[in-house]
Amino acid sequence: MPLSRRSLLRTTTGAAAALAATTGCGRAVARGPDLSGAAEIPRGPVTIRWWAGRVAARDGSDLRPVLVRAFRRKYRNIAVQLIAAPPTTDVARATLTTQVTSGSPSPDVYMGDIAWPAQFAYNSLALPLDPLLPKGYWQRYPEELVRALTYQGSVYAFPLYLDEAFLYYRKDLLHKHGLRPPGSWEELASSAAKIQRAGDADLGFVWQGTVYEGLTANVAELVADAGGSILSPDARTVTFDSPAGVRAVSYLRELIARGVSPSSVTTFVEQDSLDAFTSGRSVFLRNWLYAWGVADNPASSQVAGRIGVMRRPGFEDGTGGRSCLGGWCNYLNPHSRNLGAALAFARFLAEEEGQSILAREAAVLPPLLSQLRGKAVARSSNPAFALAREVRLVARPTRTPEYPMVSKAVFTRVNEALSGGTSVPRALARARGDLRAALRGEAL
Amino acid sequence: MRRGRRRTGVRRYVNVVNLGALVLVAVTALPLLWMAVTSFKTARENGSLPPTPVPLHPTLENYRQALGFAGFDRYLLNSAVVAVSATAIVLGLGLFAGYALARTPMRGRGPVMTGLLMISVFPTIAVVTPLYLVERELGLLNSYWGLIIPYTAFHLPFAIWILRNSLLSIPYELEEAATVDGAGPTRALLSVILPQARPALFTAGVFTFTATWTEFLMALTFNSEDAYRTVPVGIALFSSQYEIPYGTIFAGAMAATVPIALLVLIFRRAVLSGLTDGAVKG
Amino acid sequence: MTVSPTPTAARPAPRRPEPATRKNRKTRPPAGIARRRARTGWLYTAPALTVIALVTLFPVVYSVILSFSDVRFTFGGVRVEEWTLGNYTTMLASPVWLEALAFTVGYTLVTVAVEIALGIAAAVLLDRLEAGRGWILALLLIPWSLITVVSAQLWDFLYDATFGAVTWLFGLVLDQPPVILGTPVPAITGMAVADIWKTTPFVAVIILAGLVRIPKERYEAAEMDGAGAWATFWNVVLPALRPVVSVAVLFRVLQAFGIFDLPFVLTQGGPGTATQSLAVLGYKTLFQNLDIGMGAAIATSTGVLVIAGCLLFLRMFRSQVDEGGAA
Repeated sequence: MPLSRRSLLRTTTGAAAALAATTGCGRAVARGPDLSGAAEIPRGPVTIRWWAGRVAARDGSDLRPVLVRAFRRKYRNIAVQLIAAPPTTDVARATLTTQVTSGSPSPDVYMGDIAWPAQFAYNSLALPLDPLLPKGYWQRYPEELVRALTYQGSVYAFPLYLDEAFLYYRKDLLHKHGLRPPGSWEELASSAAKIQRAGDADLGFVWQGTVYEGLTANVAELVADAGGSILSPDARTVTFDSPAGVRAVSYLRELIARGVSPSSVTTFVEQDSLDAFTSGRSVFLRNWLYAWGVADNPASSQVAGRIGVMRRPGFEDGTGGRSCLGGWCNYLNPHSRNLGAALAFARFLAEEEGQSILAREAAVLPPLLSQLRGKAVARSSNPAFALAREVRLVARPTRTPEYPMVSKAVFTRVNEALSGGTSVPRALARARGDLRAALRGEAL
Repeated sequence: MRRGRRRTGVRRYVNVVNLGALVLVAVTALPLLWMAVTSFKTARENGSLPPTPVPLHPTLENYRQALGFAGFDRYLLNSAVVAVSATAIVLGLGLFAGYALARTPMRGRGPVMTGLLMISVFPTIAVVTPLYLVERELGLLNSYWGLIIPYTAFHLPFAIWILRNSLLSIPYELEEAATVDGAGPTRALLSVILPQARPALFTAGVFTFTATWTEFLMALTFNSEDAYRTVPVGIALFSSQYEIPYGTIFAGAMAATVPIALLVLIFRRAVLSGLTDGAVKG
Repeated sequence: MTVSPTPTAARPAPRRPEPATRKNRKTRPPAGIARRRARTGWLYTAPALTVIALVTLFPVVYSVILSFSDVRFTFGGVRVEEWTLGNYTTMLASPVWLEALAFTVGYTLVTVAVEIALGIAAAVLLDRLEAGRGWILALLLIPWSLITVVSAQLWDFLYDATFGAVTWLFGLVLDQPPVILGTPVPAITGMAVADIWKTTPFVAVIILAGLVRIPKERYEAAEMDGAGAWATFWNVVLPALRPVVSVAVLFRVLQAFGIFDLPFVLTQGGPGTATQSLAVLGYKTLFQNLDIGMGAAIATSTGVLVIAGCLLFLRMFRSQVDEGGAA
């Protein structure tokens, strides 16, 4: 079994790197990515593959084909084949890492969460972009965003769109009961309960509570509302099991215990919660910007025209208006065989041409500053766009390669408490243990 | 009825045994029927309460969606290529090995048989990491061979067991006659043993085919690229009931289930005797 | 199931003469030919054994080696950062691993016990059925041949908190139907039901095969002693079934221990870590955490547990497996 032995040798000894390099028996181990071919945009016909989840348009449709068509008009020789990404961010990530670590040249460009750069950079799953771009390239994007996409001095992803979380509510039901949009989480719970008691809605408040990244975002926001955080600013110390953390998680659990949120919320991702809202079953919904386009569209929603949107409230004694920074970017597969074309495509989407389409048609925000502050965004019929500027962003500690384990510790243990598997203090104690292990790089 | 009194009158039809059988049939069949029914319903009907026992507006739209748009035809093709190839190789190698273990006085048969038994039930997760790295090094990931080779290795042991057990019972005189006629061992095997072993080959074939057709973990990790995904991976990953409604998922599932169900029903004697002679003895 | 010190002495005579015996008696070949035939035997076995060894045994060794390393993906391949025992110390101290282990062991024991009980019941039923046995057996083969992922999607839909048929049925009798996949105990139960639905037919068919082999005389003897149906079942049927049941248990335990497909589709291991099996944990460690060394440590320990369990079982039930096994 010469081949297997060779691979064993190569992967198990440090000396193998030198050996492989000197004997020329294959790819050297500790080498940088291959950038030849990235400089040129090919002239002949090529096909690149783009792995991407939905990009929501304001009318609730999918913008991916629109973006691809616009690109094709400019680069007639580059065909783009769309590969639909799995629905939830964690399943998508695992499938993608499997594929990219396999050395597969497909997909050439992939859409990924803005929470991924550190882990992907650390494990060589994404190409560092700085060597491919002119100096000062990143000045056209918000500084905060570029920082999130940077790992050890290089940027690893082209921004595609930004998203923020808001509170959606049923204007008609609040009006009917003489209630105003809630000024605090406590008020939200009592308003919802009142409307439920009157039989006007089955559910009070829906959000995202299953075991995935989305629950971490929900929790991170609430903990910030309560004046706390998951980790200290330098991401070295666990601060989640503070009174603020207990308050945030207890609030969510209380919502379920009182029947304001259904017990099934512990299985919800964004779409489940959106369905519950658009079918008229729920009074309140925490969701991202794009939800407006779906919920206010008569074709996809039974409550179109009867809804309002506001910044998330805070707790009674605190302040509100927070949101996690969400958003998706385009990464380049280091094993792509069409790096030139892939780079052209990712740049097209991140620069004026692609971003102006997003500004005009998307239900989400274009990160390119000229478009983000431009007229098309300001004219949007989505009232949340006007609110977006005033949102106070809650940082998730995404800049460490251990972030996936940090997030997993949070969503697993909180979900455990919410589904009645354990008490809130115990769940937080377990989360603390898991988080510490994650920071030491020892998490499972 | 091998024992007890012969039941008469109503008791002949309405009794514990028949009622039990009815329950057994219902419990087994209802979920399957539900899958079939769902695949013919519109998305709106699947998302309404109470659930309707038969489609109100039967539609083939889900099948059109699954087979056309969702890339499912490609998954079916991939599954077929991988399963057929692996089965063929397993039967080829397994026949020779089974023959040797059943009918030659080679030493170490006992340990070999026990070792095979252990391997055939070893959990996949225990070998997925190293195999992934080795295949990556050899450039086998995202290729048909990348699945055919491990499938062959993991399903050979069971096939060898089945074949070996059935070859034990072929009379020696037949083989001797061929040897006397001057046939070498390989020719004797192919001309005398092979025809006799046909039922066992069917059994081993159906088992291997079913196992490779349904395998998930290796397919998920080794062939993650869209162009090489097999049916189970395809179905698991388009699990978003949002972009793709349940009706469409089940239309795809039906398309993946009906061929294998037919295969199993056609060869049910082979399968049943395999479970008896292979699993019971093995 | 308990170990019986006395081997089941009154084993029925085989239906046909054992071929191995006949071979030994009649056609033992001379020494030279025997040696040649033994060589042919190894020649024929070599390709199969080579493939199996390369693809199964080699990775196991490789996995053990990797489990002592800290490995990181690079652009060209993977690189070992250091050699360490850390993966194992971390794993053994980690509540997440312990929870996965507890779930996997508990789930395996419970589902297999239920499957065996239901399998015996179904087999006895089929054995006594006067008509339609062939058709029912054919029907039972369909869940067995079903892709597990498909069955998982099916049950996922049946358990859907809003539109699921099972949830709807519960809603008819309960005020507040449970959120099956969102609460720990119902989620585990729901997954077990899906598993039992799919695998009990397999168990039933194996046991039925053992059942039809019980000679009529033993029933008659029991009847002459005046034993009732239950007494006959306990004293005649169950002891005679022990070999096949042992084999079924062995197969199912080892299969259930590697459970991956169902939790992957149904729950992704949730709620919390309630349904996170060792295999799911291993997969997530590899491809979500990208921690190869730790993934290998989880895989290796799972393998060790399986082998230990297997050996223990063979030791305890040696005679039964031999009787039921190697003909």
